[in-house]
Formats: sequence, structure tokens, C-alpha cells
Amino acid sequence: MREVIVELKKVWKVFKTKYYEIHALRGIDLQIEKGEFLIVMGPSGSGKSTLLHLIGCLDKPTSGEVLIDGISTSKLSDSELTNLRRDKIGFIFQQYNLIPTLTVFENVELPMVLKGVSRDERKKRVSILLEMLGIKDTAQRRPNELSGGQQQRVAIARALANDPKILLCDEPTGNLDSRTGEQIIQKIKELNKKENVTVVLVTHNPSFKVFGDRVIYLRDGQIVDVT
Amino acid sequence: MLLELARRNLERIKVRSILAIVGILIGVMAIGSIGIFGESLKAAVMKNFKDVVNQLNVYPNFQEGYTYIEQRDLRSIEKIELVESVTPIRSDSSLIVYREKKTYATVYALNDDFLKKNFKVEKGDINLKNGCVVGKLLADHLSLKVGSKIYLDNNECRVSAILENTGARFDINPNFAVIVSEDYFEKISNARINLVVVKVKSLENVEEVKSTIEKTINRKDERVVVFELKIIVERISEAFNQINLFLIAIASVSLLVAGVSILNVMLISTIERTKEIGVMRAIGAQRSTVMKIFLMEAMVLGLIGSTIGAILSIFGGILIDYALLKDFSYVFQLSTIFYVFLGILIGVTTSLLSGLYPAWKASKLEPIEALRYE
Ligand SMILES: Nc1ncnc2c1ncn2[C@@H]1O[C@H](COP(=O)(O)OP(=O)(O)OP(=O)(O)O)[C@@H](O)[C@H]1O
Ligand SMILES: [Mg+2]
Repeated sequence: MREVIVELKKVWKVFKTKYYEIHALRGIDLQIEKGEFLIVMGPSGSGKSTLLHLIGCLDKPTSGEVLIDGISTSKLSDSELTNLRRDKIGFIFQQYNLIPTLTVFENVELPMVLKGVSRDERKKRVSILLEMLGIKDTAQRRPNELSGGQQQRVAIARALANDPKILLCDEPTGNLDSRTGEQIIQKIKELNKKENVTVVLVTHNPSFKVFGDRVIYLRDGQIVDVT
Repeated sequence: MLLELARRNLERIKVRSILAIVGILIGVMAIGSIGIFGESLKAAVMKNFKDVVNQLNVYPNFQEGYTYIEQRDLRSIEKIELVESVTPIRSDSSLIVYREKKTYATVYALNDDFLKKNFKVEKGDINLKNGCVVGKLLADHLSLKVGSKIYLDNNECRVSAILENTGARFDINPNFAVIVSEDYFEKISNARINLVVVKVKSLENVEEVKSTIEKTINRKDERVVVFELKIIVERISEAFNQINLFLIAIASVSLLVAGVSILNVMLISTIERTKEIGVMRAIGAQRSTVMKIFLMEAMVLGLIGSTIGAILSIFGGILIDYALLKDFSYVFQLSTIFYVFLGILIGVTTSLLSGLYPAWKASKLEPIEALRYE
């Protein structure tokens, strides 16, 4: 049986600034199934990141509804949304966004610290994750002592720390050379298959389309094509 | 881990953190050492009053026409149980002549015990049976020495001892006086008892004894006035406390400046770390967690600054005490060390209060806005 993990119903997102209004998303209807690998493409400014932020509960829609794992997010408090992000969602950004003062080990450990996982369990899980992503020997280094590819692997490990159901990746290869980028996508695909994590990946690179179960195209805040 | 994170964040902006710490340190040191000095000064002054706090002076009530205290009243004071000692004092003024010099001075009738207990001898020995005792100022005025023969209203008397100059007192003032025995006094004056000095056994009973005296003697008529020396001592102590409070308030201004500098350092931090805060919020840090991290940073700054400041304030206190009082033993009294802890407390509180606004500001950042910040 197919299980829907993310559902967007008539989602609009309007950014109001002093001088103008931007309709970043215009009535998006979308269902994402558990274990699906969804690729989002579209020109710059079409609303891809905005869509990802709404799915990731970092932002709320202006109108419409976002359901994560059957829970409607519109009525949740900031604190409840935070816990939802912590427990069910992993983020991977283009700029890696690691905490510079923490070591690789501590960066991966951080989401578990925030969740209150015991020290022993954290240690176990971090080494499994670092092993899985092939960066075990960097554990005690700081992010600025790593290559871009290594940093992105740390970010992936961190995103997986609390065993999330959904992995949201906003142009994760944007800052990497094509070979490293390819490796990162391979890794994400592997996780998607092995751990059955739902993946939503925003990318500009058409050659990654082959990894997706489905590709949606955004333009001016609307889904214009699905393949 | 959050504390460790706070520590590393401060380390990342080492120079700014150190400057903020120095600010707190100076403030705490100012409060601590000024507090120590004020308390030492008070202790040094109060030491002089140590012997008189349990004392009651009983005077005849001149306003009601009583000029002396009657023997039977003296007896009834002596009968009160909580009383340690009762000393009736008679005094008169008399012409004192030594060789060709002469002057008027007070003559007191006292006993050896009271004299020895209350005054220090500079030269000679106290023995009122064999001679009189003179105060320092009178001795200087008439160029008296131990053994000098003086005349009190034509009655001959040999000086057996000269007293040290006493400070201000609240009962008798022997500096410009001659002290003689009861028997000798009878010969030169018919003055009656005009002061009874009562020492109470323990400090807690002073009020009780006072009211007992008033009740028994003043039953019909207000014949005596009882004066409590404890009140004066308390007033003086109070005055010192107020001065100290004022000095500390002034010293606290420097902490205020330090507080503003922490506020400044942390506000810059929140702006510099906006993106990082966004990331933390995205991966599941609550607003309260963000707040905690920033408050911990403020507290670490405050604790380090206050601790170093407190240690330095002890040295500062020793230095000031030594320079102004020539004695730094007061620094190590409990009441004095209290000011060191007060300094720490005010230092840490100031830091936390200064950290409150930046921490609140950081926690209020919307995660998405913070993430978009470059
Ligand atoms: N916080 C905001 N305030 C105002 N406008 C915003 C805000 N966030 C996004 N926008 C606008 O909404 C539109 C969609 O932005 P979004 O970041 O989703 O685009 P994108 O598809 O991710 O583009 P890119 O490929 O360049 O990352 C853009 O016009 C952008 O300027
Ligand atoms: Mg984008």
C-alpha cells in the first residue's frame, strides 16, 4: 500500500515587503509518497526553496495546508514545529551550514543533543553515520579544515542523526565540482533505497533527473510539468 | 555541550571577550575593595566602643529639679540581677595649684577597679589611697610628673599616676581632671552622686535593665534619666553602613559600564551568528535553547570576570587598608569578606542582565529569516 508522507493542499506563499508583494507559490497541490525520491527543478526565483521550506516546517504557508505524516502544521506552535523538524526532517543546504565552532563529531551529534539522546547512544550513532558516509577519520576536525565534499557529507550525516523520515536537499551539489556532486547524489540515492528515507531534492542539474522517481517543474510558483 | 559551545563561541572572539571580562573585573574589584575598606574602617572605629555597648548611664533628672542620685536609688540599681557592676561617680570642680601654676579642673571620686578597667596608665601606678591620678591634658598643662605635689582647694595630694589621653567618652572625661578616692573627695567637696555607670551582664538585657531602673526609681516622679550607650554605637554603625552603601553605589557605576560592554559584545555576536542561529533552529533547537546558549555566554563572561575581580579585590582591600589604616587584619573578617561575595553576585547579575536582551533577540529570530541572512 502506498503511504503519503507529505501533502500540500492549495498552498500559497506571498512575501509582502514595503514596496511590493511576491507570490512565490501559487496554489500548489502535491503529494509525496513514503520512500519516494522527488526532484524539483525550475528557473531561479520559481519558488523551489520556498516549497522546500514549507515542507520542512521552517515557514508557514500564507494559505492552504501542509500535512507532514498526517499532521496539519498550520495549527502547531513554534515549539511543536521545532520538535517536528528535529525528529522527522533532515536538511541539507547548498552552503553545508555546519556550526564552525563544533567538530565534525559534535556537528553530527548536535541534533541528538537537542533531542536529549544519551551520550552513549549518541556516540554509537555518530560513528555509524560517519562510517556510512566515509568520513570517519575527520571526526575531530573542524568544518573549515574539510573540503566541500567532505563538509556536505558531514551535513548529510547530521541530517540523518535523528533518523528522519524526510530528507530535504536544496541544491546540495551547487558548490561542488561535478564529480563530487555526483558522488553526493549517489550517496543520497543509496540512503533513499537502503533506509527508505523520503527525499525531496532541488537541483538545476538535468543529469540528476535519472535518480528521481518523479521530477516536478516549477515556474512562477506553479507546478507546470511532472515526469 | 551547550556550555562548551558557549565557551568556544567566546573563544572565537577572544579579544572582545577579554575586554568584556576586564570590564566586569574592574567593576567587581572596585565594589569588593571599597566594600572591604568601608567595613574595615567601621571595624576599626567600632573597636573603640567595644567596652561601652553594654553600658547604661544613669543621670539625675535636672529638668525635674533633681541634681543628684540618692543612696537608696543606688542600692536599688545594685539589687538588679542582670547587672554586672554599678559605679557611682561623684564629681565637682576645684582649683588645682602646682607650684606657681593654677587652673580649674574637674575632680572625680572613683575606685581603683573602675579606673584600671576603663583607662590606660601612661606613667606611675594607680593607687588612690596613696595619691591622686591626673589626666594627660591636665598633666601637660601644669607640667605634672609622677610624684608632683599638687593642691586641690588647699588640700595637698601627690600624683601617683598619669593616664593616657582617652578618646571621646560618654560618661566621664578624665583628660583634664584629677581623680581621687571617695574618702579624699569627702574632704574637698560635698557634691553627691551625679552619675551612675551601670554595666549589664549581657548585651541582650540592656533594654530590660534600662526599663527596670526606670520602673523602680521613676515610679512616682521622673527622678532619673537612663541613657543607653548601645544606641549611640548603633547609630554610628548605621552611619558607617550608609557611607559604605554610598561608596559601593559609586563603585557600581563602573559595573554598569561593564554591563553595557557585555551588551555590546553580545549584540554583535547575535548579528554575526544570525545564520548559525538559523541552522540551529532548522535542525531542532528551541527558542529557549538559543536563549540558553547566549545567557551561558554572558554568565561565563561574568563568572570569569567576577572571580578574578574578587581575588584582586582582596589584594586591593589589603593595600587600601594598609595605606589608610596601617592594619589589614580586618580584611579577613567574615563581615568584610561578605563584600567580596557581594561583588561577585553583582558582577554575575549584571552580566546576566546584559546578556538577557541579546539572548532574547537571538531567540526571537525567525529560523527562515536567519537562514537567508548572509
Ligand atoms: N523572505 C522573503 N522575502 C521576500 N521575498 C522572498 C523571500 N523568500 C523568497 N522570496 C522571493 O520569492 C521568490 C521565490 O524564491 P525562492 O528562493 O523560492 O526561489 P528558488 O526557486 O529557490 O530560486 P533559486 O533557484 O535562485 O534558489 C523569489 O522571487 C524570491 O525573491
Ligand atoms: Mg533556492
